[in-house]
Amino acid sequence: MRRYDQMSSLVWLAFAIYICIESGRLSFGSFHNPGPGFLPLLVGIFLGIFSIIAFLQAFLSKETEEIVQSWYPKKRWKKLIWVLVAMFAYAFCLEILGFLVSTFLLLVFLLRAGMEPQRWLVAIGGSAIASISSYAVFELWLKTQLPKGFLGF
Amino acid sequence: MDLFSNLSLAFSVIFQWNNLLFCFIGCVIGTLIGVLPGIGPVATISLLLPSTFRMSPVTAIIMLAGIYYGAMYGGSTTSILVNIPGESASVVTCLDGYQMARQGRAGPALGIAAFGSFIAGTVATILIMLVAPPLAMIALKFGPPEYFSLMFLGLTLLIYLASGSMIKALMTACVGIFLGTIGTDTISGIERFTYRNYTLMDGIGLIPVIMGLFGISEVLLNIDEASKQEIYKTRISNLLPTLRDWKDSILSILRGTFLGFFLGILPGGGATIASFGAYAVEKRFSKHPEKFGSGAIEGVAGPESANNAASQASFIPLLTLGIPANVVMAILLGALMIYNIKPGPLLIKQHPDLFWGVVGSMYIGNVMLLILNVPLIGVWVKILKIPYPILFPLILLFCLIGVYSVNNSVVEITIMIIFGIVGYLMKKFKYEAAPLILAFVLSPLLENALRQSLLMSHGSFSIFFTRPISLILMVVAILLLILPLIPGFEKRPKGEEID
Repeated sequence: MRRYDQMSSLVWLAFAIYICIESGRLSFGSFHNPGPGFLPLLVGIFLGIFSIIAFLQAFLSKETEEIVQSWYPKKRWKKLIWVLVAMFAYAFCLEILGFLVSTFLLLVFLLRAGMEPQRWLVAIGGSAIASISSYAVFELWLKTQLPKGFLGF
Repeated sequence: MDLFSNLSLAFSVIFQWNNLLFCFIGCVIGTLIGVLPGIGPVATISLLLPSTFRMSPVTAIIMLAGIYYGAMYGGSTTSILVNIPGESASVVTCLDGYQMARQGRAGPALGIAAFGSFIAGTVATILIMLVAPPLAMIALKFGPPEYFSLMFLGLTLLIYLASGSMIKALMTACVGIFLGTIGTDTISGIERFTYRNYTLMDGIGLIPVIMGLFGISEVLLNIDEASKQEIYKTRISNLLPTLRDWKDSILSILRGTFLGFFLGILPGGGATIASFGAYAVEKRFSKHPEKFGSGAIEGVAGPESANNAASQASFIPLLTLGIPANVVMAILLGALMIYNIKPGPLLIKQHPDLFWGVVGSMYIGNVMLLILNVPLIGVWVKILKIPYPILFPLILLFCLIGVYSVNNSVVEITIMIIFGIVGYLMKKFKYEAAPLILAFVLSPLLENALRQSLLMSHGSFSIFFTRPISLILMVVAILLLILPLIPGFEKRPKGEEID
């Protein structure tokens, strides 16, 4: 955990510096009449202080005895990336292909390439049922406006 | 108005057929998602929020409230039968509940959890009725400094109770406040950190952030770790606890109820902390503490009562002060604002049907949940058997639809996925998401209160320490912050995750 804590606190420190620089461009106002940059700058400074303390804590602490598990088990790493890519692709395609098509494709992909590959019949059948029934519930019943896409549904 | 006319108002609201129907739907959905691991009340309520925009605010809040306390009932089922908590407030129930199931006492464990929740829920409802109106009267005297100090105390409490390192919780709270400042500044009208991005001008939406941090990240984590669920194969019989069971647990139920109620009212407290607290109390009060962890019924009764009482009590700060005590209440705060209702001390006066309707729905909802959870337990156990590889695409789909439907915005889907990744990394690096969310929600309120207070005092921070109510709140908050530095006080109660 110790090395991870050092790493993460440095990331937060970088973020704090970013906040401070960016809020410096806004008007700080005065203590009498605080401006829009007042709170962000304050928060940035505190975040910076806390992350330095966290870094020092991690730096000075002894390595804990708990067995440090790798936070990226390589076997699963790939699947995780695929799921994320699929979701980003879904966000990208949603308004082009429309709700029904993109949802069907997403579900087939997740069922096949997700945790455990399901049989094609299950994947296609399940995805069809799930996308049509969610369309029925959200679009037809709850009147959520789902994107139509160039096919018109 | 006296208590009886209030009560009759409460019941006249809840017995309108649509309110009754949506209370029931809320309880069913709540139990369902309580049973399903990987999807909790936070994600569900944000998912269903957009679909409530066409209902009346009273009906909507009644349903959403039902989901929240319904999840407290459902959550215990998975803890007892599978040893996997359905949601974070049922983590401790695993300790003794699962052991009871292994000894063939799954029935009494489930039974006492349901009855305990019922008793706690009903008592908490009565207490809400008695406590909330006077509290709202006091809150009318609150000015910006008092509000600032109260919110500051709430955040501090959550940070103090955080399970991991306190410094990490402080950092996430800072990040939350920063995220809350993104968008157009309400006082000066100046854009902050938007980079001329159209979506960011209104600020980052609450729902994409919550769904990302709590929904998506949880799924990513489960894909990563692929938790193997095995339902303990046992016949569930004798759901009605025996006289002996009652004798063992009735005091635990009552202690859990009052502790839960108290922790639920405090901003920053909530169901999870309450259940951990109740377990610790039961162990201390017990004549045979060595039995805890190997199937003591008190270890199920206390925490399960506490989380239910707390989940209902947490409505009090929202409906009387306009301050959310936890993440779920934060979403409801957002919901009330969308319905054009300003939560705060005037809410009970201006919208009596809303306040008393919710109170009434809690009475009825608890009865419904008792029926749903005792005779119908078999149905929920069947749902537990859906394998996660099939379940997770559906959970992701619900998150995607839910976020999209709030503003019909694809950008918000992207924001959700990004926060999903952030949440996943935060969990891996042992940072808690709860302080971030609460700080994020409170940020605009906090900033306004701070800037107005400083305007009032001509730039002096002493205003927070010269007004009596504010002084008390600030002293408590500062004590909580320095307490861990004093030797002997470092050890803090352990909580798994707070929401």
